[in-house]
Amino acid sequence: MRRIWKIYRLLAAQNLKRIMEYRADFLTGAVSFLIDQAVGIAFIFIIFTQIPQLSGFTFPQILFIYGFSQIPKGLDHLLTDNLWCVGYFIVRKGDFDKYLIRPINPLFHVIAETFQVDAVGELIVGFGLLIYASPDAGLHITVWTVLLSVIAVPFAALIYTSLKIMTSALAFWMKSSGFIIQMVYGMNEFSKYPTTIYSLPVRIFVTYIIPFAFTGYYLSQYILTGNDPWFNIGGVIVISSVLFVISIFIWNKGISAYESAGA
Amino acid sequence: MNNIRRRYVPFMKAGIQNLVIYRLNFLGFVIGGLIYCFVMFYLWKAVFDSNGGGAFLGFSMTDMVIYLFLSNTTGQLIFSGVSNDVGEEIRDGSITMRLLKPVNTDLSYMFTELGTVMMKLVVLLLPMILGLETYRYFISGALMFSPVNFLIYLMSAVLAYIISFRVNLCFGFIAFYVKNLWGIGILKNSVINFLSGSLIPLAFMPDGLRVCLEYLPFASMSYTPVMIYMGKYGTYEMLFRIGIQIVWAILMYGLSKLIWFGSIKKLCIQGG
Repeated sequence: MRRIWKIYRLLAAQNLKRIMEYRADFLTGAVSFLIDQAVGIAFIFIIFTQIPQLSGFTFPQILFIYGFSQIPKGLDHLLTDNLWCVGYFIVRKGDFDKYLIRPINPLFHVIAETFQVDAVGELIVGFGLLIYASPDAGLHITVWTVLLSVIAVPFAALIYTSLKIMTSALAFWMKSSGFIIQMVYGMNEFSKYPTTIYSLPVRIFVTYIIPFAFTGYYLSQYILTGNDPWFNIGGVIVISSVLFVISIFIWNKGISAYESAGA
Repeated sequence: MNNIRRRYVPFMKAGIQNLVIYRLNFLGFVIGGLIYCFVMFYLWKAVFDSNGGGAFLGFSMTDMVIYLFLSNTTGQLIFSGVSNDVGEEIRDGSITMRLLKPVNTDLSYMFTELGTVMMKLVVLLLPMILGLETYRYFISGALMFSPVNFLIYLMSAVLAYIISFRVNLCFGFIAFYVKNLWGIGILKNSVINFLSGSLIPLAFMPDGLRVCLEYLPFASMSYTPVMIYMGKYGTYEMLFRIGIQIVWAILMYGLSKLIWFGSIKKLCIQGG
């Protein structure tokens, strides 16, 4: 464990050096994600100039849900962005060889290699909205709700990560699976708004099949109402753990199916 | 004319082949777009329900559905990947190969892309129109498809494509100065999404902002054709909007040429 931590620190330091070298790149990346978020919020704002409530949620509550959903997303984006590259080109070009011949776990190596600072755009917006919306959102604040919500966030991020591991691992068989990652990842759009606005089949889909509802709505639901900790928080932990185990299984199967590219 | 055809048709064929080979990627983007539309559909449905179910700022729910799906499809149709292509070629230096060929650089990019645009027209736009009209038929009980509006929509979409191509070309030229094209790409997409009205119809925006945005080139890129299709414009306004599109197409053409001639002399290729 100490060794893993040390390797991670070394790799992260390398990354930070690279970022310092290309500062303009980092700034464009972070500002871009920030503006991407601002546009989403402007959208909610314009809707609420016309209606007082959306399916029973007030403007601050919707902002709170939106903001909360961006934190696990940003966290995963910060730490595991390199999985996209596995799906898009690392396997196709045969560059995956590199990870297999080093004496550390390949999945860990892939993930540790990139530290994607662009994600601060999402994290800033997420935390910013939480701070801005909290006083008026009518939160149910107790030691438990706060503590459990904080504990649940890494698990919610793990839902993102597991889905990315699974879909990127498909590249081991298909050579390139970027479009599948894109498709599955794109469904996180569903997590930004209250799940109650969707019809029943969609709700079941985003709760149990591609469980993005747990990364936003159910989490915020708990701290908004204090209801159902077993489902809202327990659900995140159970579902993310199950997904993670499945994803590791698929990943390992994939590695044994990996064939390097010809020269 | 024959000469031009001989020179550029191969580029177009390459474009079609490219799409056929990477059809799964293409499918991914199409499905991604549809998912996004469905999220928006439910969101708008909740908005309409919360508003008492009636019309919302002059849009009925049926209008909204047509708007959502058609503006997404139009966005896909007029989407131009030229900013990535040009950016990549500037970055890895392969643009020199293009400069050596006896073809117009812009046109060679454009014809490659026209191949994909034509494929999208057949596999994307036509089924979408069919689907939407069927939907509208079941909701309203009458066939509301207007061939005239559809033809003018196509014309307006051609202009929209020209503007989109030129705007993206200008974005691609940023690669002469900045190397993180990926971040810029995200920025460009979200800015265009917002300013072009494909996220929220411009009609819903506060008046001052709306008027400004309607005159910017972004509105010409998907809002104008979609509104024409939906029959939201009278004859006079339709002509006026198309006029704005033509003006922007010319201006963006000039701008892209200007940046090109200003930057090409600075071309500096890293590594060898």
